[in-house]
Amino acid sequence: MFTTLIQDPPAAATPQGPDYATGIATETDKWGQLTKLASTFDDVDGLFYFTYVVCIFFFVLITGALLYSVVRYRRKTYDQPAASNVTHNTPLEVIWTVIPLLIVMVMFAWGFKGSLDMTYVPSDARQYKATASQWNWLFHYPNDPAKSRNELWVEIGKPAEFLLESTDVLHAFFLPSQRVKRDIVPGRYQSVWFTPTELGEFHLFCAEYCGLDHSKMYAKMHVVTAEEYADRPWDTFDDSTPEAAIKSGESIYQSACYSCHSVDGSKLTGPSWKGLFEKSGDQIVGAKREVIAGGATQTVTVDFDYIKESIHDPEAKKAVGYENANMTPFKDLNDRQIKAVIAYMKTLAQ
Amino acid sequence: MTTQVPPVETATPGVETERKTYLNVTKGFMSWAGTLDHKRIGLMYLIGTSAALLAGGLFALLVRLHLWEPTGMLFDNAEYNQVFTLHGVFMVFLFVIPAIPAALGNMILPLQLGAIDVALPRLNLLSFYLWVTGAIFAILAIVAGGFDTGWTFYTPYSLYTQQAVGLIGMGVFILGFSSIFTGLNFIVTVHKLRAPGLTWFRMPLFIWALYATSILQVLATPVLGITVLLVAIERLYHIGIFDPRLGGDAVLFEHFFWFYSHPAVYIMVLPAFGIISELVTVHSRKPLFGYKLIAFSSLAIAIISFLVWGHHMFTSGQSTYAMFAFSFLTFFVAIPTAIKEFSWVATVWKGSIALNSPMLYTLAFLIIFAIGGLTGVILGALNVDIHLHDTYFVVAHFHYVMMGSIALAFFAGLHHWWPKMFGVMYNETHAKISCALIFIGFNATFIPQFIMGSRGMPRRYATYVPDYEPYHKASTIGAMVLGVGVAFMVYYLVVSLLQKKRAMENQWGGVTLEWETPTPPPLENFSKPPVVTNEVYDYSKLDLETTITPAK
Repeated sequence: MFTTLIQDPPAAATPQGPDYATGIATETDKWGQLTKLASTFDDVDGLFYFTYVVCIFFFVLITGALLYSVVRYRRKTYDQPAASNVTHNTPLEVIWTVIPLLIVMVMFAWGFKGSLDMTYVPSDARQYKATASQWNWLFHYPNDPAKSRNELWVEIGKPAEFLLESTDVLHAFFLPSQRVKRDIVPGRYQSVWFTPTELGEFHLFCAEYCGLDHSKMYAKMHVVTAEEYADRPWDTFDDSTPEAAIKSGESIYQSACYSCHSVDGSKLTGPSWKGLFEKSGDQIVGAKREVIAGGATQTVTVDFDYIKESIHDPEAKKAVGYENANMTPFKDLNDRQIKAVIAYMKTLAQ
Repeated sequence: MTTQVPPVETATPGVETERKTYLNVTKGFMSWAGTLDHKRIGLMYLIGTSAALLAGGLFALLVRLHLWEPTGMLFDNAEYNQVFTLHGVFMVFLFVIPAIPAALGNMILPLQLGAIDVALPRLNLLSFYLWVTGAIFAILAIVAGGFDTGWTFYTPYSLYTQQAVGLIGMGVFILGFSSIFTGLNFIVTVHKLRAPGLTWFRMPLFIWALYATSILQVLATPVLGITVLLVAIERLYHIGIFDPRLGGDAVLFEHFFWFYSHPAVYIMVLPAFGIISELVTVHSRKPLFGYKLIAFSSLAIAIISFLVWGHHMFTSGQSTYAMFAFSFLTFFVAIPTAIKEFSWVATVWKGSIALNSPMLYTLAFLIIFAIGGLTGVILGALNVDIHLHDTYFVVAHFHYVMMGSIALAFFAGLHHWWPKMFGVMYNETHAKISCALIFIGFNATFIPQFIMGSRGMPRRYATYVPDYEPYHKASTIGAMVLGVGVAFMVYYLVVSLLQKKRAMENQWGGVTLEWETPTPPPLENFSKPPVVTNEVYDYSKLDLETTITPAK
């Protein structure tokens, strides 16, 4: 690892970061210990601040007694004996055992009640599904064929329940503004729910370490009004005109592909898209690529079939130089979407 | 406690010969590499674990520097993931677990018991060589391409990653045996080699703490070994234990891992408690307040610590009943811990408080551990933990315990027993400056992490949302101050060995048995087995002359 450290200058290898939500710091909560609560789980904040105050009380008590003693009973001559040789005081010891015990039992009961609330899903909750893969999120909407990647829309005031699944390793679904978090374990379904109470954009993080681009596994959650939600803002796909198709292709790139594939020729986890298509006179044609298929090297011409296969089954043909790179299959992309992606790739031709 | 034995005659009066101590009794490489003396083995452990601390600290500084910018300053994501993993593995397995028991414990435990050595000296040397072998495997794993799983090795990622997980797994497995053997050795030693008259309730609390730790080491560490072995088998033969693709259960690994690693937290922290109990009474020159309660609370913590592992997994989808039990027991373990803290403060109260560097480190510990413990209470609440789990709040909390408390207790113990170990004194002014730098730097590093964690910053992120940038910058500046403090400490400690400024025979006025032998001790510790007649920490029996007599 340190050899690469020496070869690569400090500049970050992947300057593009995810498209982050517009920030957690609002004027009113900038200096609060927690960000503004944006869901109905107010027990979390209540108990957090209650415990916080109790902690500060005990901290002041402990350090106060300590500092007072140090100042008052400091040893001035080398033979100064202690002011007292007391070794125990039963009433005091009972008090400082029983009182903290009572306080922590209150915290325990409050916390347990709060966590039970998080398991009772309201009957009118809208049911979503979130699929976590290294290193992106795919959101499925109830009774809607359109899906969105790394961007999520929910309606304000409407309980939202998420069925969580992982296609590879552990991930965790973490919405700090909603105070919810749930590990996503491959091979089993997990679920989580919340009722958003504030309009706006919010961070959705992966909170369980999942490998290389863990920190870039990010989604932006939009909490919108019922009217906006009815417009299905997640369905942005449009290939009615060539320009719209390019734009749709680019937005698919931005949501799903940017973290591993550059468009400027720089080397990321996977091969750059620049140069997949070339200008030949007035035409834009597929470039020739060396790939490894079934252990043997062969040359392919980049075309729809090759791109589609690479998206749906990345292991089938691996670009030379990227044999060890692992790509998650994106099987949910349909032919029209792939054509839009190709339309975008062609704009990168030189 | 004093003994009935008169001070040992160590040199013929009038003849200027160098007194034979464990340090100079024999010379040459083999006299160290093949030594069975607990003090020499402890010293070799001290060098090894300190090297691991400095390496782990260097990785920590690299992590903090990298996070100066939201997009990262030094590494790409792959390198960052390796560096934070190395930081965790070096600190936990090579420094924090062995540092206090194996380095300071080895040195002090037989002395405090009035014994010639540990009960099983050959096993003790084997433990050390197993530690060295484990460390070599860790270095081999770095050379072989590194590993990026985090120190927790969570499956299935640790099964799929192409990196050198096998080598580091082997290293951890071997280090586990080093830990088990040390634990066994200490248990036998405490049972069999106490000096006549040294009853269980006359034992110094450092011994009690090491005894409780040893029980945990012997009972919990095999689970880690088995777990690592299962991961190795899974990686090699694809049985389907932890791998969901083969029908295995990824969460099962978390249960196994934390069944060891939660008690391991107490393997790490109980010896620190022992040091603090010891130092608080010596430097306040006052019997320890609530001696029995502290001794029993160590055992209570050791037992309950086996039953709280599930609090590392509150978001993993455990049943409600499991959540109920784990949260309840977690709050319950707070009580013996609180009792200890209160008892230490009550010991300082109305004492005769010497503000020397070991006591300053002890006071720093008491303040930092209060924060570390109290923030643990915040994390014990189920619904609050769901929000804070896997954020920087947790990172800050466990650093307040692991670094702020355990490492500071290690430094406190090191400064306390340094004159005993080497017969020399370091520069006290330098030590106080370094203690202040470490205290300020540490808090400046981790208080911002509490804030950004509760505001949602997830841990193990190579890049982050720019909202958190001010907190990361503050934390990085704090880490640099902390780094300077530790580097300065290494400097003046090394200088003290070269300058050889004589320490006092009983530098701090301790009344436990290690101060009854000449400083530094001869190879056989005591020329005659000491007999204990006094209660523990009875400072009315302290011979003040020894505290102002330079060591021979």
